[in-house]
Amino acid sequence: MEDSGQRDSRTRFAQTSVLADAACAAQLRQEFSVWLKRYFALDPTKVSDVVLAVNEALANAAEFAYSAVERPGAMHLLADYDTHAEVLTVTVSDEGAWRIADGEKKNISRGRGIPLMQALADSTSIDSSPAGTRVRMEWNHVDATENATTDASAH
Amino acid sequence: MEGAAPNSCAIEERRIDSISVVAVAGVVDMLTAPDVEKAIAEAAKSSPSAVVVDMTEVEFLASAGMGVLISAQDELAPAIKLAVVADGPATSRPLKLVGVTDVVDLYATLDEALTALTS
Repeated sequence: MEDSGQRDSRTRFAQTSVLADAACAAQLRQEFSVWLKRYFALDPTKVSDVVLAVNEALANAAEFAYSAVERPGAMHLLADYDTHAEVLTVTVSDEGAWRIADGEKKNISRGRGIPLMQALADSTSIDSSPAGTRVRMEWNHVDATENATTDASAH
Repeated sequence: MEGAAPNSCAIEERRIDSISVVAVAGVVDMLTAPDVEKAIAEAAKSSPSAVVVDMTEVEFLASAGMGVLISAQDELAPAIKLAVVADGPATSRPLKLVGVTDVVDLYATLDEALTALTS
C-alpha cells in the first residue's frame, strides 16, 4: 500500500497496481523502455531483448491472469539494478491465475511468450501459486553508464 | 511518422505483379496484431501468388505478432506463399529465436523476397 505509483532511479523502476489489460501493458512497456534507455548504455540487441521479454511477461498477465474473472485485476513491474554485480532483475507479478498450461486448446499461433522470455533473458523463473504468478528475469553484465543519459537524449 | 503515437502501427497494402505486399510499420503487439491479421487476410482475397509481410519498418514485434504470421502461413498454404521481410534485433532476431523462421520464409530485404518469389 505504501508503494503504489511510480519510483524511478538508476537502480530501480517500479510501477505497481497497473490495470492488467493490453493497453496498460503497452503503456508500461513504453515507460520501462524509456527508463532502460535513459540509465543504461546497452547495445540495440540487448535493449530489444529486455524490452521484448518484459513485454511478454506483461502480455501474459494482461491476457491470462484474470481471464476467469469479470474484470481485470492488477499487475506489477519492478526492475532492480545491482550496480556491483551488474545484474538487472525484472519481476512482473499479478494476483491472478494463468491458464496457459491448457494442452487441449493448444493453438499453433500461441504459446511463444514463455519460450521467448527464456531465450531472451539470462535466467527466467515463473512461480505460480493460488495467490498469483510471478515472473522473474535476470540479465548479467548490464553496464550502467552515467553517460547513458546524454546518449539517450541525443536520439 | 512524426507525431504518431509510440505504440501505434501503420499498414499499407500494394500489389507488385502477382505478389501482394503488406507493409507494416511501428509496433506489432497484442493491441495491433489483429490489424495485421486482417490486412493479411484482406491481401489474400485477391488470390495473389504470394503475400509478403514487409516488417522492415517494424520497431517492436511481440509474440502476438509472431502468432499472426504462423496462423497466416497455416491458412494460406499451399495456394498462396507467405514470406516475411525483416532484419534487425527487434524483428528477425526474435523470429529466429523461437523458430518462426522454420515455418515462415524470412528475407532480409523486400527485393530479395520478390526475387525469390518470382523466380
